[in-house]
Amino acid sequence: MRDQLLNLQNQALADLAGITGEDELQSLRVRFLGKKGELTSIMKGIGALTAEERPLIGQVVNSVRDCLEAAFESASTLLRDTIKSQKLNNEKVDVTLPGRSLPSGTKHPVSLVIEEISDIFAGLGFIVAEGPEIELDYYNFEALNFPKDHPARDMQDTFFVQNNLLLRTHTSPVQIRTMLKQKPPVRIIAPGTVYRCDYDATHSPMFHQIEGLMVDKGVTFGDLKGILTIFTNQMFGSDIGVRLRPSFFPFTEPSAEVDIACVICRGKGCRVCKNTGWLEILGAGMVDPEVFRHVDYDSENYSGFAFGMGIERVAMLKYGISDMRLLFENDVRFLSQF
Amino acid sequence: MKVTYNWLKEFVDFDLSPEDLAHLLTMLGLEVDSIEYIGADLDDVIVALVEERAQHPNADKLSLCRINNGKEILSVVCGAQNFKSGDKVALAQVGSTLPGDFKIKRSKIRGEESCGMLCSEKELGLADESAGIMVLSEDLQLGKPLFDALGIKDVVFEIGLTPNRADCLSVIGVAREIAAKLGKKVRYASHQISETGVDVNSIASVEIIDPDLCPRYTARYVSGCKIAPSPQWLVNRLKALGQRSINNVVDITNYVLMEYGHPLHAFNFRELKDGKIVVKRASAEEKFITLDGQERELNPTDLTIRDGERAVALAGIMGGENSEIADDTSEILLESAYFNPSAVRLTSKRLGIHTESSHRFERGTDFNIVTTVLDRAASLIAELAGGVVAKGIIDVFPCHIPEKRIKLRISRVNAIIGISLDEAEVTSIFTNLEFSVIKTAPGELEVSVPSFRVDIEREIDLVEEVARLYGFENIPTTMPVVEVFSDRIPHYQFLERAARGHLSSTGFNEVINFSFASNHDIQRLRLCDTDRRNAAVALLNPLVDEHAVMRTTLLPGLLQTASRNFSLRNLNLRLFEMRRVYLSQIGQELPDEPLHIAGLMSGLRYTEAWNQTKEMVDFYDIKGVVESVISLFRLSDLSYSTDRTEPYYHPGKSALIFCKDRQIGSLGEIHPDVQENFEIEKPVYYFELDFASLVELSTGTPVVKSPSRFPDTYRDIAMLMSLETTSAAVIDCIKGIQSDKIKSVDIFDLYTGDKIPKGEKSLAVRVRYGSLEKTLTDEEVGKLHQKIVNSLISELNIKTR
Repeated sequence: MRDQLLNLQNQALADLAGITGEDELQSLRVRFLGKKGELTSIMKGIGALTAEERPLIGQVVNSVRDCLEAAFESASTLLRDTIKSQKLNNEKVDVTLPGRSLPSGTKHPVSLVIEEISDIFAGLGFIVAEGPEIELDYYNFEALNFPKDHPARDMQDTFFVQNNLLLRTHTSPVQIRTMLKQKPPVRIIAPGTVYRCDYDATHSPMFHQIEGLMVDKGVTFGDLKGILTIFTNQMFGSDIGVRLRPSFFPFTEPSAEVDIACVICRGKGCRVCKNTGWLEILGAGMVDPEVFRHVDYDSENYSGFAFGMGIERVAMLKYGISDMRLLFENDVRFLSQF
Repeated sequence: MKVTYNWLKEFVDFDLSPEDLAHLLTMLGLEVDSIEYIGADLDDVIVALVEERAQHPNADKLSLCRINNGKEILSVVCGAQNFKSGDKVALAQVGSTLPGDFKIKRSKIRGEESCGMLCSEKELGLADESAGIMVLSEDLQLGKPLFDALGIKDVVFEIGLTPNRADCLSVIGVAREIAAKLGKKVRYASHQISETGVDVNSIASVEIIDPDLCPRYTARYVSGCKIAPSPQWLVNRLKALGQRSINNVVDITNYVLMEYGHPLHAFNFRELKDGKIVVKRASAEEKFITLDGQERELNPTDLTIRDGERAVALAGIMGGENSEIADDTSEILLESAYFNPSAVRLTSKRLGIHTESSHRFERGTDFNIVTTVLDRAASLIAELAGGVVAKGIIDVFPCHIPEKRIKLRISRVNAIIGISLDEAEVTSIFTNLEFSVIKTAPGELEVSVPSFRVDIEREIDLVEEVARLYGFENIPTTMPVVEVFSDRIPHYQFLERAARGHLSSTGFNEVINFSFASNHDIQRLRLCDTDRRNAAVALLNPLVDEHAVMRTTLLPGLLQTASRNFSLRNLNLRLFEMRRVYLSQIGQELPDEPLHIAGLMSGLRYTEAWNQTKEMVDFYDIKGVVESVISLFRLSDLSYSTDRTEPYYHPGKSALIFCKDRQIGSLGEIHPDVQENFEIEKPVYYFELDFASLVELSTGTPVVKSPSRFPDTYRDIAMLMSLETTSAAVIDCIKGIQSDKIKSVDIFDLYTGDKIPKGEKSLAVRVRYGSLEKTLTDEEVGKLHQKIVNSLISELNIKTR
């Protein structure tokens, strides 16, 4: 009987090893461990055993049952795992297909640069000021020390609306409007649209500038160098070289053009910087006493600096745009890249 | 403005390479825009000797020459006839490249070997025309590069001069800057003139009628001149500066102009009636032919130089045809005068004549240098044109021009620049600049400004000179030390950024169109005649007709942008623009410039992709965008009116947007006619909002209500109603119940079609009920819900389904 039991155990384990599905597992369980199963039917023979044999065989029966139950349990777990993993495998997707896209648009590069520059100066305590684009001659020229019939006016080709009304040629009139509105100290940054009658690959009749003005007690040309160095380092990288060289603007004195080391060749000389290693990015200087006179500031007690730069120029350098006209053609294939 | 390296060296000693000199000038504020190396590419063109010139055996018109290049004898075939054995000539050796990228190669010409080419002036870029090859002076050294031998190898600097630096519009002016920076002295030449013959005053006379426009006029008389081509050195110098040679006398006036920066004029004296010069305003509508052959109409703001009868020159701008130097001119009256800058500028601008002369006079010239340049020119004419200079100078100088003296405080210099120089250091800067300085008090100087520095008038001008000469690069970089103050970013700027950020993150590309429009664009929008947007601000001098006026709405720009993108096959567009429009305001100094936000949609609703449905955008897409933008501003009492709409919209698919009875914008599908006007072939949806109104009506920071701790309950109502009944009426009716237990009402289904009676639509709404105190019971919700249904039935005549 012992042999019968062990054979049964072996037979059952062998059969279990070959199963492929839940149904098969169930029918095997019924066949071997069911109420009318083979184990039960062998156990029916216990009654015919001797008293000594009975406990011994009883032990064998128990061990065979335990063994088979454990085997069925683990076979069942294995089977479930196999089925689950097969199912998961069958659900596999092509992860390289693009995701369901959320709408995504872009800000115009000119807006991006205006925001970036404004933020840098906001960190230095400059606040954003604005002014009209259709401007009086007085604010655009006269108060900025461009006398009538002065050659300095030739520096800026002007669109006129009427004799005394024009499209502002620079953001500098915002300086005047701001100073007329408030007493010093002043710290403003004024981005805006400006116009000049000129149109070719490097000139657009409409473009953007950002103007800065700081007026306070004891502000020096050295401070202008300091602020502009901070700005250029934040905008173009902390290792970018900056140089100021003398220039002329009617509303500042001393006046400077500000160059940064060429961002393309890092100062070695290339086509973009015309082999000079330098790129002109802004004009600056100490506010001319004549300007202070127009806004009724005391130039003996207050001094200040102003600077202005072309946004398009900065955007073109930052993003490597070769033709300014791209900025205003608004081809979506261009705009989507920002 | 151009100067050359060698020419500068005539006036100041410096030991700098051309590149270092360019840097020095740039850092002085004379920005060198470009450097041109004359003759640098032509080192392979050398001085050679014709050992023998013989007839080419196979060609009548060619000669076969044996040419000595200083090292060996070469065989060269030449077609020119103007030379002989023993002449020195210019040989372009094999391997050299002539102007125009003309490469010289070893070749065979009619069977004879030719190792190089004998060159003409034209081939070397030395002249516009030449007859035959260049025959050189015998004393030139054999084998030496030609440009070196001729002394015309030079470096030309193009300087982008700022308009204040009139004093640097000359070689001497630039030399003065170099000298000042290097602490050297300028070598000013003194011009020895052998004056012979009669006194100038017995031959000619000068009278100034209008001394306000001409404070000084000087003249010399030179007779016996032979008008001829200029010598090569003079031609080369002028050519280096971009000037064409005319004849010796004219070239001399131009040369002196370039050298000293002071314009001169040479009159053909025989054409001057009565030998007289009268400086006088033109009369009204006076006709005058300038030497470019153009007839000009003058008026009394124009200053003329006249003889006994008529105008002979436009003062400081251009001479007259009637007194021009001709080939047979022998008697010359040389003019050197000082004219009022504004007057010259006014005339030059009005007549559109810009000359080297007007350019300088309008910027301001040096009234003290007039006789020096007169002497310089007269001595050159005597030397190069064989002229005889009459005794003396006519110098009419009716108005004394005082020397400019300016007080300068050392403390002011240091305070503005941020340095700490002492009196001696500042004084030395000015001495180097040829200013004279006296100390008037401790820390205070009186600086006398030389008459050539027309730009220096105030103390601050002197401060700038110190900064410039001290070197911007030497000024310490500091940070301002100031009191802290803070101004918050204004709320509207915050909202502007929020709106830009919102639209760009919901799939819209920001565009920037020109602010210009054309009247035609505006007409194409079908606006009615009385519409304010027809009265655009017009430009007096537009570049093109399409840019004749300032836009009054963002629509034309966006439609053109859409049209352009469609033609580039960018078919699915979501564009927005946040820019100003420009509206005339009667009685105001300036037009109004409100900021508008506009958006345009067309094409597919979703990005074209494998997993997106291919639906086209419709009215409700643009409305959704408008609602989301408006929600940034937290407006209340919003309404959409269809009573009247913008004429550029589809009348059935558009609305004006109101907030508290104020129109804040509009939205809709663009009218098919307008679409067609802008060459657009498919539906385009558009909105435009007035940013200022949105800001003014915005309610700012929201007051938050705590949500209930109990769950809400939903009930739906499905109903049939007339097609004319709007969804807004349904929602208003439900909200009209005014129960605080109604939390929200949403439309979740709309159906029109075959399954319901004609003229009706099916609408389904979901009402959300809730309470702060408890979970509402079915009975409570049911009662309220029934009230709503009853109200809908009685007010809107709906049928529940």
